[in-house]
Formats: sequence, structure tokens, C-alpha cells
Amino acid sequence: MSQPASDSIKKFTTLALIVGLLGLGIAGYGVYQGLLHHDSRPLVSWLIGFSFWFSISIGMFFLIMLWYVFGAGWSIIIRRQLEHALAAIPFLGLIFLPLLLVAWFYKENPGILWEWINPEHPLPGGGTVGADTIYQTKAPYLNLPFFTARVIFYFTAMSLIAYLLRKCSFTLDKDGDARWVLLARKVSAAGIIIVAMSATFAAFDFFMSISYHWFSTMYGVWFFAASMRAGIAATFLLCWVLACSGQLKGLFNRGHQYELGCLCLAFTVFWAYISFSQYFLIYNANIPEETFWYNLRELTIDGAKSSWWYLSAYGLVFGHFLFPFLYLLFYKSKVKVYRMVIITCWILSFHLLDLYFNILPNKMVADNALGYTITPFTVTPFDAAALIGVGGICIWAFLRSMVKQEPIPIRDPFIQTSIHHHG
Amino acid sequence: MFNNKEKKPYGLIASFKNITEACDAAEKVRDAGFKRWDFFAPLPIHNIHEIMGLKRSKVSVITLFGGITGFCTGMSIVYYMNAYDYPLIVGGKPFFSPIFPFPVFYELTILLASFGAFFGMFLTNLLPRHNHPVFNHEPFSKASDDGFFIAIECRDPLFDKSKTETLLRDLGGTEITLLDH
Repeated sequence: MSQPASDSIKKFTTLALIVGLLGLGIAGYGVYQGLLHHDSRPLVSWLIGFSFWFSISIGMFFLIMLWYVFGAGWSIIIRRQLEHALAAIPFLGLIFLPLLLVAWFYKENPGILWEWINPEHPLPGGGTVGADTIYQTKAPYLNLPFFTARVIFYFTAMSLIAYLLRKCSFTLDKDGDARWVLLARKVSAAGIIIVAMSATFAAFDFFMSISYHWFSTMYGVWFFAASMRAGIAATFLLCWVLACSGQLKGLFNRGHQYELGCLCLAFTVFWAYISFSQYFLIYNANIPEETFWYNLRELTIDGAKSSWWYLSAYGLVFGHFLFPFLYLLFYKSKVKVYRMVIITCWILSFHLLDLYFNILPNKMVADNALGYTITPFTVTPFDAAALIGVGGICIWAFLRSMVKQEPIPIRDPFIQTSIHHHG
Repeated sequence: MFNNKEKKPYGLIASFKNITEACDAAEKVRDAGFKRWDFFAPLPIHNIHEIMGLKRSKVSVITLFGGITGFCTGMSIVYYMNAYDYPLIVGGKPFFSPIFPFPVFYELTILLASFGAFFGMFLTNLLPRHNHPVFNHEPFSKASDDGFFIAIECRDPLFDKSKTETLLRDLGGTEITLLDH
């Protein structure tokens, strides 16, 4: 890489770090204010900002491991970029840490994110969490020490696998020993199971347990599908940026783009299949223990449709599924660069809406006939700060890893297949 | 068999030594403006559609229409049975809603879309056909080993026996033969 280019990357790395820390600082101030005023909304902002980038990383993680396991040749030049992105996983663990600390040290605060961590927490309609039979039954799983142990496990395991995959790929550049590819394949085979379990239980713990009365076995798969969509869309944008102005110039061709477009389409359908199946089973069974989660997202207290209903019916069904689905069906949409840029940005925006839809609506104790109100859909400045902040840190980690390594795995046995891939 | 009119031959076929020569020749044939011609190779060539100047196949359009037909059929079946012919409340659900007949129209969409893809492929490939004139050409058996061939049909408006033969010879073709039907 030429000197001026690497200088501008250095400048950009510092900028990303500053923006990241600044964003996290503002979001952190929000959390502090939230704790002072017993308001959980800034904590949700932090969680959404974290989840957006966490899901992208999970998606990229799975892509790398799937490509290894299937021995995919076309994707090798893209894989190296994703390996840099995996450098962010330990930092994502650090970004999650404040939520854990708040859970440990401010659990008496009424504005907590996961109400089950405090047995004294009042429930809508009277009673406390500790006296709630449903909580008592779930307590062996939903308790703070076990929760902490799980969170530590998720991030340690994922950081370890990411470290091993990165090490295999980067050492191969230096010694050219093809056994690293075989080792990476073995790590991936085990890693798929471990990361899948981690992502599934992370989705249960971070998001589903916000309404701890509710349960859905499809929730983990929903998070996987959503992460894959976000990961593939972000992968495309990343490669596009690198092809315009960086190390993939002239390497990232129409073939790679077409394959990523096909993956985008496949996971659009998969996400819809999973999200709809979850809804469909609950709708058909019609049991109050399960339907309340959707009712919270449909009706206001007086029985009218709430903002969440319009967001999910129009935003998620048509915006997140139908439009990208029909759009990506066309061959031209997958091979024309600007069309792919539009749809990947679109998918990432609606992925964010999907996260809001899954995380934000919850019962808040209130003085009315039902004893609660439902968190309305709002976008606060702290949401933006958390999103930009976590993003800054992830981009910083990416760039920091990128400058140290070769732009593509030059000594991978199948690198020629990838460079000469035709769509 | 009662038709005594002499049958038009199928076209001209030429053999090529290797893949580079064959592909170069195919590009020249494409640039000469031929439409009804074919290229035979013993191995898949990834960008052959560009070399031959082929348009995208119509199978995807037929598949899409198959899918739309399936979707509409599934929806109408459920509407007709559940809300029109014999209105029945099941599980407290409305007579008709786009949600509960999902398995029906979803499966029918997939079924008819795959029928569209399958039969569309048959139609566009003019299948079924039991023989092809190129099989009458003795050297053609090498097409499954190391032979590359270009066949230009007589039906092509630009076809002219002597001119086309010269073209194929200039491009490096050997064993140029007029194929009968």
C-alpha cells in the first residue's frame, strides 16, 4: 500500500475512534441521566446501538465459518475483509459491560432494562417479580449470576474463535502452509455450533427476557436470520467502499457482487419465513400466554392500533420483506452496483427498525385501568449516539486490523478461483 | 412421406482445435450477426453467454408468472371455500384473512413457480427432442472429450452456404460439413 493511502487510513482510524468514544460518551451520559430519573429508555438506546453492530458481526462471523466449511472459493477475497471486522468482537463485549454493571449495581433502580433482575420490582397490576409464579419457575435460568456467566461465555467463546480464525488466515499469508486452511475449517465446524448457541441464547437473554413472561423457540432463529441479513448487507457495503477507494479496487467484480446479491435474497426470504412462522404459530394457537407479546405491539390501551402496528405491518412486512424480495428477484438488481448499494442500505435501515420492534415495546407501570402503558416508538438522540458510537468503535477495530495485514489472502490455495470468479 | 419437396439441410458444422480458438471464433460469429447457431464444448465455459451474445433466458419470467398464478389460486381457493361457498368460523378466526391460508397459497406459489421453471425450461429448450442433426456428424463424438464445435443453421437469415463456409474456415474451423436433418 502506498504511503499517502496508509496515511489517510491512519487519519480515518483516529477519527473513527474519536467519533466512537464521543458517541458512547453521549449515550453513557444518557444512561446516567436515565438512572437518575428512573428511566430505562437510555439503557434501551445503548442496547439497540450495541445490537445493531453485534448482529452485523454475528452475520459476518457465520459467513466466514460457512465459507470455510463448504470450501467456498469465490469468497476468499471478501473473507479477509470480514476477518478484520471480527476484530471488533472483544470490543463489543466491552461495550456490553456497562449494561451488566448497571444490572449488578443499580438493580433497585425502577428504570432497569431487565426487570427480572430485581425481585422487588413492581409488576403492572400489582405484585412484584419475586412473588410472580412465572418468575419463580424461570428463576433457575433467569438470575443475575448465571446471566453474567452466560454473557462472559458468549463473548469469551466468540472472541476465541474469532482469534483462531484470524490467526489461521494471517499466518497463512506469512508461511504459505495450506494446513492453516484445514485448521480453520475444523475451527469453523466447531465454531458454527458455538456461535449459533451463543447468538441464540444471547437473543433470549438480551431481548426476549425484557418481557420475561413471553417465550418463543423461534426467537433465536429470528436473531440468526436478522443477523445474516444485516451481515450480508454490511459485507456488500464494506466491499463496495473498499472497491471504490481501497484495497479491493479491481478485485471485487460483478461475480462476487452477484453472489452476495443472491445471499441477500436468500436471507430476505429466510428472515420472512422465520418471523412470519413465529407470528403464525402464535396467531393460530391463540393462547394468551403467547399472544400478549404481539398485542403489546398492536394495540394501545383503548384498543386502537398503536404506532407499533403500522410499523410492523407496513414497515416490516412490506418494507423489510416484500420490497427487497421483489427488488432482488431481478438479475439486474444484483449485478448493477448502485442498485445493490440502495437495497443493502435499505435492508440495514429496516433491520434497525426490526430491532426496535423486538426490543423497545414493553409494559411500563402506570396509573390507569390496566396498570400499564406501552413504550411508544420513539427515536431519541441517545439512540443515534449509541449507534454512531458503537459503529465508530467497530470501524476503528476494523481499520486497525486492516493496516497490519495483506489486503487479500495472497497464499490461500484457492485465491485464483476467487480473483477470477465469474457471475 | 408424401412430400417430395427436397428437405433443407440443417446447417454447417466446424471443428476447432482448442478452447481459445473456439471462443475467438464464436465471438467472430456473434459479431457477424448470426442468431441461429450453437456452440458445443466438452466443459462448462462460464461467460459463454457473453461470447455467444445470448440474451437472458425467458425461464425466469415464466417462473414468475407460475408463482403469481399459484398465489392467486391459493388465495381464491380459501376465499371460495371458507368465506363464500360454506362460511365457517374456525378457531375464532375471521372467514377470510390473508394470514391463516398462508400455508395453502405459499405452497401453491412454490409449486406453480417450480412448474413454471421446469416446463419453461422444456419450452425454451424445445424439448422433448429425441435426436439432433449434429449427431449425424461422425467427429461430433469428440464433443464429450476434447472437441469444440460451432454449428450455424440454414434457418439463419445471414446463412449463405459458400460465404458461411469461408467464414468458418477463416476462423480456423476444420472438417466443415453440411449437416442433413
